[in-house]
Amino acid sequence: MGKKKPGIRDFGRNGKSELVHISQKDLMPLPDIPGEDTESDPIRSLTDRQKATYEHSLDGVSAVAVPCPKDEEEEKRLIKSFLEGLKKLLSREDNWMFLQQLQQTLDCCIKCQVCSDACAIYVASGRQEIYRPMFRSEVVRRIVNKYLKKGGRLFAKLRGNDIELNWTTIARLAELAYRCTMCRRCAAWCPMGSDSGLITHELRKLFSQEMGIAPKELHEAGSMRHLRVGASTGISPKAFGDIIAFMEEEIEEKTGKKIKIPVDKKGAEILLIHNSGEYLSWIENPAAFAVIFEEAGLNWTLSSELYGYEATNYGVWYDDVQFGRVALRQIEVAKKLEAKKIVIGECGHATKGLVILADRMLTGDFNFPRESALPLLENIVCTNRIRLDPRKNDFPVTLHDPCNIVRLMGIIEPQRKILHMICPRFREMEPHGVDNYCCGGGSGFAIMSHMNFSDWKLTIAGRIKVKQILDAFKDVRDPSVKKYVCAPCSNCKAQLRDLLAFYNLQETHGISYGGLAELIANAMVDLKKPFIEW
Amino acid sequence: MGGVVAFLFYGSILFCLIGSSIKITGFIKTPLHLKWEYYKGSSVYESIDWWTRAPTGFREKVVTALVDIIFLREYYRRNPQYWFFLYLFHLGIYLLILWHIWLFAASVLPDPEGTRGYGLAWGHGATILACIGTLGILILRITDRELRLYYAPLHYIKWVLMMITLAGGFYAVHVYFGGSIPAVLKYVRAQVTFSDTAQKFHPPPATAAHVLLGSVWLVYLPFSHILRLFFRYYHGLRFDEVPNVPGGIIEKRVKELLGKPVTWAGPHIRSGKSWRETATGLPDEEGKGKAG
Repeated sequence: MGKKKPGIRDFGRNGKSELVHISQKDLMPLPDIPGEDTESDPIRSLTDRQKATYEHSLDGVSAVAVPCPKDEEEEKRLIKSFLEGLKKLLSREDNWMFLQQLQQTLDCCIKCQVCSDACAIYVASGRQEIYRPMFRSEVVRRIVNKYLKKGGRLFAKLRGNDIELNWTTIARLAELAYRCTMCRRCAAWCPMGSDSGLITHELRKLFSQEMGIAPKELHEAGSMRHLRVGASTGISPKAFGDIIAFMEEEIEEKTGKKIKIPVDKKGAEILLIHNSGEYLSWIENPAAFAVIFEEAGLNWTLSSELYGYEATNYGVWYDDVQFGRVALRQIEVAKKLEAKKIVIGECGHATKGLVILADRMLTGDFNFPRESALPLLENIVCTNRIRLDPRKNDFPVTLHDPCNIVRLMGIIEPQRKILHMICPRFREMEPHGVDNYCCGGGSGFAIMSHMNFSDWKLTIAGRIKVKQILDAFKDVRDPSVKKYVCAPCSNCKAQLRDLLAFYNLQETHGISYGGLAELIANAMVDLKKPFIEW
Repeated sequence: MGGVVAFLFYGSILFCLIGSSIKITGFIKTPLHLKWEYYKGSSVYESIDWWTRAPTGFREKVVTALVDIIFLREYYRRNPQYWFFLYLFHLGIYLLILWHIWLFAASVLPDPEGTRGYGLAWGHGATILACIGTLGILILRITDRELRLYYAPLHYIKWVLMMITLAGGFYAVHVYFGGSIPAVLKYVRAQVTFSDTAQKFHPPPATAAHVLLGSVWLVYLPFSHILRLFFRYYHGLRFDEVPNVPGGIIEKRVKELLGKPVTWAGPHIRSGKSWRETATGLPDEEGKGKAG
């Protein structure tokens, strides 16, 4: 308090200086973390060259790397392009996909600020005004009301539409669209059905689909690479074959079981698709699935076809066109294999994307059955289709609820039923279930680390999750007691990996992380040695 | 003056009906959107082969919507202080709407004397509840920084206007009609049956003022968020798990929408083609690696 908080009227002013500078003392305290009481800034400053090249006037952070316009002419062109994109967002042709929800959100906010307390980023940042969920929505609402509606400039101040649309406003808005994880906790809390997470989504779309502005990790190195190579990680079909061979060796060494992983098996009941990041970073997860599925006697397969071994769809986060392109290709693979249904592994955005979001893009034989792997795992564990011994998981376990799977799909119980059956020392985080907090890596943040963005996502976006994890294990602080954060989502795992390393939680608290399938495999009675390696 | 009042009164009712119909038609005709719901509890997606399970039933949807709308449940959970005054206001307004409906109905009944006691208590009670709520909301909106933030000056004017409208109604019934429900009913009967034109063209000032203020609210209603809130929220955000099944009505609508042209200008989008063609094509080299 005491410091003047920037308001919406300041949003388009003083484009040369940062609207907000975040210091350590602003942040929500983390008393259990050594070094958190230092005076140093939590976010590294950009270099002079970066400052001269990229827009950073929101908070000194550059997530999107928006190039500074060269001259006034370019600024004018960009402003025009932005307004064109905004018109398209409100058009029945160009944005039929989200028009209804967008109009609802623009029309129905009554500024009750209920959403503010729901936002992990706003709270963790020490309630920085610019991170308030409705701040972003209100900027967009005012621009729409003032610049696109008839008579919008009439009594603009009286009607609450006082905002100036200039390049500074647009550049800050582009960055602000990447200070929200789209966890939509705010939307679930809103009594009016306004959805600030949707505003984030629509803004990102506007910048990508109209202006060609998107973070490199999501676009060039993400969805574009996915469509070009077959996976956003860059894994080619040939490399995938090598990975599977390596995985079979790993399984044999770890479990003593010689498994031939089914690949491109025609007519299988299940086509299992993982986030391809699992094969590179956490191969134990697809390996655990293979062990469990084989033990349960399922008729399943993986695919080595282009697009068939990659569940991710970064378009979910920023671009409807890219989303549609990827989804159609994933379905095409399942059709070719004549599988009965697609089951998506432990990846939140991929599951929500293909099961829910794609639902109203798919017609005819492209409308292919699709579901999350969690109900299937629940069925295998809870109906005793494989023999499990919970004593093998006799260590403290807590569960992180991926927003896409839990709040945004309503898959809440299967993972809990499994953990209650196989982990005798399971404890919930608070809050959990549909009230969970995002890990801070949602909406693509887990894979974004350009310039100083990783500082922001680890010190602010993931801050509440760190506190939740520490609280969940507060009865067993001893670092020699191994503890496990179960996160059934690849992106959440990537963020947890970075959080645990950044806050040194493995060494100081003995906290590790991993997926759900690994815990199931670890409890299997006939494995030679523990599946989980600490 | 009297003619103007009559014209505005009947005109505002007509305007409200036509305006609301146009708005609602617009909502109905808004294209089908992608699924983007959120959940307060378990959903069908917890089941294997979820597409074979029935989505949330109509009864459950209606009960949830009614509980939320009548009791403002989410406000109670998130901000009890604000909820208290908001609830009093809404309760008062709901009761006043019902009271006005009752006035119209009772005015054509043969025995208005029998309604004297409860009719007055109902009207005054509802007005007092709405007044306390309005005043409380106005005070909180002025004094609480969080509630003051980004709240447009126009909204304060609206709450003041609401207070005046409520006070005007109270004055008209209690002072002009002397707190006599039969007198109020007699006046309403004249309005409903379009009789007593002399009174219409020379209305008493108290009722004229109240009718004028009421007309302002009727004209405002089609432009407010209220219609949209009731119309879309529960269907589109809370319970949208009805699957797109082959050959179904959703699929039919999706097919039409996929035929719409794409005009986005991003370099990776081939503008001018339909959504279907754009999605099946690749961003850089047309035709290569086409799906389907």
